[in-house]
Amino acid sequence: MKIRFICLLLLAFTAALLSGCWDRKEMNTLAIVLGAGIDHTPGNQVMLTLQLARPGYTLGAANGGEEPGIWVVSETGRTVYEAQGKLANRLSRRIYWSHNVILVFGEDAARQGIRRYTSFFSRSMQDRETTWVMVAPGQARDILETSSVLEDSSAQAAAYLERAGTCYGIRFLDLKVMLAAKGDNPVAPRVEVVASGVTPVLDEEEPVRTKSAALTGTAVFRDDKLVGWLDETETRGLLWLRGELEQGVVVVPSPDNPGKYSSVEIIGMHMKVKPQYDGNTVRCNVKIVTEGELREQQSTEVDITQPEIHAELENKMAGVIANEARLALNKAQEEYGVDIFNFGTAFHRKYPREWAELQDRWNEVFTGVQVDLTVEANLKFTGLTGRRGSIKE
Amino acid sequence: MLDKGKIGSLQAVFLLVSMVLPTALLYISAHTSRHAGQDGWISLMLAVFAALAIARLAVSLARRFPGQTLFQFPEHILGRWPGKAVAVLYVWWFFHMNAEIIRQFGNFLVAAFMTHTPLIVFELLIVLIAAYAVRGGLEVFTRANQIILPFILGLIIITNILIAPEIDLKKLLPVFSDSGAVPVLKGAVMPASWLGEIVIVAVLLPYLDRGQKAFKIAVTATLITGLILLITFVTDIALFSPQLTVAALFPELSKVRIISLGNFLERLEAITMGIWIAGGLIKISLFYWAAVLGSAQCLELKDYRPLVLPAGVILLALSVMLHENIIEQVNFLGAFWGPYALFLFQTGIPLFLLAAAAARGLGGQERQ
Amino acid sequence: MVKYIKPIKIGQGGRRKSRSGRSRTPGEYAQENTFPSMELHDMELHDRQLDSDLQSNLQQLMRILDDCSDVVYREFAPAGDGHPGLALVFVDGLVDKTLVSDQIMHSLMLDAPLVRPGDQFTGDGAFKMIRERLLPYQQMMETGNLGRVIDAVLAGETVLLVDGCARALINDVKGWEMRSITESQTEIVIRGPREAFVESIRVNTSLLRRKIKNPNLKIEALKLGRVTKTDLAVAYIKGIANEKLVAEIKERLSRIEIDAILETGYIEELIEDSPRSPFPTVGHTERPDKAAAQLLEGRAAVLVDGTPHVLTVPFLFIESLQFPEDYYERWVVSSAVRLLRLVFLMVSLVLPSFYVAVVTFHHELLPTPLLLSLAAQREAIPYPAVFEVLIMELSFEVLREAGVRLPRQVGQAVSIVGALVVGLAAVQAGLVAAATVIIVALTGIASFTTYYSTGFAIRFLRFPLLVLAGSLGLYGLLCGLLALLIHLASLRSFGVPYLSPAAPFHPGEQKDMAIRVPWWAMLYRPRLAGTANPRRETAGLEPAPPPPGQNGPTGDEQ
Repeated sequence: MKIRFICLLLLAFTAALLSGCWDRKEMNTLAIVLGAGIDHTPGNQVMLTLQLARPGYTLGAANGGEEPGIWVVSETGRTVYEAQGKLANRLSRRIYWSHNVILVFGEDAARQGIRRYTSFFSRSMQDRETTWVMVAPGQARDILETSSVLEDSSAQAAAYLERAGTCYGIRFLDLKVMLAAKGDNPVAPRVEVVASGVTPVLDEEEPVRTKSAALTGTAVFRDDKLVGWLDETETRGLLWLRGELEQGVVVVPSPDNPGKYSSVEIIGMHMKVKPQYDGNTVRCNVKIVTEGELREQQSTEVDITQPEIHAELENKMAGVIANEARLALNKAQEEYGVDIFNFGTAFHRKYPREWAELQDRWNEVFTGVQVDLTVEANLKFTGLTGRRGSIKE
Repeated sequence: MLDKGKIGSLQAVFLLVSMVLPTALLYISAHTSRHAGQDGWISLMLAVFAALAIARLAVSLARRFPGQTLFQFPEHILGRWPGKAVAVLYVWWFFHMNAEIIRQFGNFLVAAFMTHTPLIVFELLIVLIAAYAVRGGLEVFTRANQIILPFILGLIIITNILIAPEIDLKKLLPVFSDSGAVPVLKGAVMPASWLGEIVIVAVLLPYLDRGQKAFKIAVTATLITGLILLITFVTDIALFSPQLTVAALFPELSKVRIISLGNFLERLEAITMGIWIAGGLIKISLFYWAAVLGSAQCLELKDYRPLVLPAGVILLALSVMLHENIIEQVNFLGAFWGPYALFLFQTGIPLFLLAAAAARGLGGQERQ
Repeated sequence: MVKYIKPIKIGQGGRRKSRSGRSRTPGEYAQENTFPSMELHDMELHDRQLDSDLQSNLQQLMRILDDCSDVVYREFAPAGDGHPGLALVFVDGLVDKTLVSDQIMHSLMLDAPLVRPGDQFTGDGAFKMIRERLLPYQQMMETGNLGRVIDAVLAGETVLLVDGCARALINDVKGWEMRSITESQTEIVIRGPREAFVESIRVNTSLLRRKIKNPNLKIEALKLGRVTKTDLAVAYIKGIANEKLVAEIKERLSRIEIDAILETGYIEELIEDSPRSPFPTVGHTERPDKAAAQLLEGRAAVLVDGTPHVLTVPFLFIESLQFPEDYYERWVVSSAVRLLRLVFLMVSLVLPSFYVAVVTFHHELLPTPLLLSLAAQREAIPYPAVFEVLIMELSFEVLREAGVRLPRQVGQAVSIVGALVVGLAAVQAGLVAAATVIIVALTGIASFTTYYSTGFAIRFLRFPLLVLAGSLGLYGLLCGLLALLIHLASLRSFGVPYLSPAAPFHPGEQKDMAIRVPWWAMLYRPRLAGTANPRRETAGLEPAPPPPGQNGPTGDEQ
């Protein structure tokens, strides 16, 4: 009896095995996607661009830089998935998204509204919410068709750039949160192809001028539609006001001579927003506290070891920071009229009842918000030297 | 007593924690925040209290009839045929619940991991292993659980630690203003029906090594489960905002997918899969055992073992037939299951039985 | 009252109805197994008695033992005058011939005539005289049973037959060639005693006695095996071992009816609780120190003549990870090593399957550079990962098996050839990926860290898990592991759950499971010994130096 049962079990098992292991994907049947781009084409179609890896050639050591390690394909369709389906007809391997690190939206696609495209990536079980999102002026395809000198693929290079935190690095998760919140509007880094260096070549030939993708600012959205850009300084202001700056350089004019500068590296910061509402106008008290380390000093007359000079330097630093923040704030309030600093959510937390009335027209309200900015900057360390030693007394 | 096994107090606590935790972990955030938004943690605490009350109810009821399970003492209280009817109702409830669980089990694995594999494959395999465990008896899967549950708990702790840098507790504010008392209560029904599965203590009591500790065991298990669910809920909301949590079908999985440690340990959703499968097995085995035991006791058989395989077939068939697609199941569970399980089987009938027993003066309080 | 051990009904352990439904009665075996060449049936031998007449006794013996050319019949007549009075029967090769000639024959032939008891020499008087005065020998027994005489002759004892007396004297003069006590070949320690059991049961029991010099160490003897009549001994410490356990063992042993017992493995399969499980529920050891430690923890040991392997019951899963050296080296290091063993036990079971599952189903688990590197390797391999790993595993098993059986000189060459061929050439030929070779090698090495019998089980179980992982990925692997766990959880070894002390969990038991606490903390015996004698050590033995100043100045002042 027991043997019969075991035989039946084995039969069932073998039958299950024989009908094919449904989800089995051998490694060499995968087309590994490293980067993806969404563009909007005339005719209301979506163009999906995929940067695929070529195993065996990807790792620099294996191929010695002879053959490219990536391959870029594009296809259009009415939806993202249809475009992928059409691509699948052209690719001899199954498209595998799990290792995708970047998602680039083209400008046209972003202006149409990115909500049309995010559904595919939300529902997909292969795609991750840790993918880095960026917006390209022009076409996303151009970004993906570049290569990288230091990294194996431009997708990874762009991902590492965002991860480094100099521009505002947005992951897909953050994008979704910002899209879902009524008191916030999405932002995403702007990525452009720039000339980025020279690779020398032997035999007196012309050195190769390389281009690669670089982060050059921020894209501003109203709800899910792109409305404009912030340049690099304004991006810094944005980072200050959102409390997300992780590293950066603040250039401070020297106390004695505005033509000479000192450089301070930002080590850490945090930001607090306190909204105040008196029934008519909204005021926001923003306090930014930051710590920095002095890295460079061009002036020769200033001795930073003296307390007054040190304090003055800190004040100037605070002033520079406040300036950057104001730049971003003005642009957001006056030119674009969108709250990209998440003040709405702070307001919601403090005044939930009033928020219920204001939430649907928060962007309008935001343009009239008066922001009181206080910056406290601390210069904690000065590197290895105190006063400048090379100056002859 | 059909199953001659006895389990110790610690084993019982582990078993009861495993009973609720693995599946609840995955869905709790979405279901609770649907009604209560970011105040779901209040709902959860209410649910824990409700479960404690249910535990008290079940233990008081069961202690009046030492040596008898939930399927046997209704006969004493209500008479032979009404009592059997009540027992049959409970047997049906265990079957139904188990079928839903098996369907959820398969759904998750197909939807999130292996989409091309037919649902029946997952269900068949797990039901087979559960059948093997149930044939071994209560002791066998309780012992296996003692090894499984620490792993599960360890993995849960690790994932929560790894996700800690990402969470922003401010997302839990403002408290109690976006929702009100009614939504919070509504949000508490579903978790209460899961935590209230503690009513199974009434079936387990005769098999406990030390029956007088039953209430303490139930309380410990409920508190542990409640704590872990609370932590899960809080981290989920703090990670995604309340709006996103509602949208996700499997918030816990989404949470684990975000873990990125040193750019090396990423994409760890296999952890969730492991928790799910191991915990799901124990849960399915426990309810399977209860259903089979109940059937055997209703039919007054000497041994429940011959019923194990037929019950497995029934479970498989039920789980496939009950729902057409995943959306239908989610809606069914969200709308109907809470009241059905909570008010009818976990509170209603036991209260009725207790009242009847007290009125008829049946069953002495068990002395030490 | 021991709550821990499930009460065993005596006689039910391991007993199953045979598949045809008919249970066999003990007598059937006896009736089916006659030895047609023997005139006398085995059972009948034991009913026969000796004759008074010496010659008829000798004739009987020669008839039963005909064609046994190594049996020696030595007749002699100490009385002198032609009366053959005595005969000595023994097997050449089994007896110590010096003892026979110096002690027995010397005293009988040379001393006896000097001690003439009078005119009546033959008969019972002579017998009595010889027994009491003439044989200065330690062990002597007398019997009138023919079967007993045959057993004695074949066991290496000498039998002295006296004319006119229907009884015989049996002297134990065993002295045959046997292996000397050497180091164990299979259980090797760096620190610890190096002696191992040998094939002679008397030497083995002596080794045990030397470790435990306590009257409570009981060694009960029995004989099993119809044809081989092997000597067995059951050893236990009365007062520490659970009485029910000992009774159960003796009962199960007594139910054995078989031709031969050549090794403890025969007995193991005949008395174990779960004969169909690949996991051993009866342990064995070759080392007396390990056996003694097991006895002190409440287990019982079964020794079999003819093999150095001694059975210990009950056997728990955790013992697969415990080696004697853990208890001799320092506890911190031992605990770490034990944890390592636990990890590698899992590795040896799971690693190939995990690799296959990840490489075939769950590529997201790999970091991107690793994925790309593996993909590059696998571009060249023409078949799926499952087959590749299966083939490699099978080749490894073949190598391993060959390495054990081949003579030492050839074994070296095999291992080198194996490493070279399988490793390098296969990778270069594009038959397997380099990563697979690493995985398989690591798995193979990891499987040596555990107890040998469990290692067997794990080697075997690796293959079903591999198939499961190859068809259903991590889900299949996890299901296989869970089924295995359930199986282990359902095993009992003589009443003790196989997975204790992990499950059921007892906090006090954890001291010797995955780690080893220092000796001054191991206050209690494991619970499988029952609660009759739980304490093995006084509390508070943690050593510390005396307080400063107590033994004179302790500073650095000189």
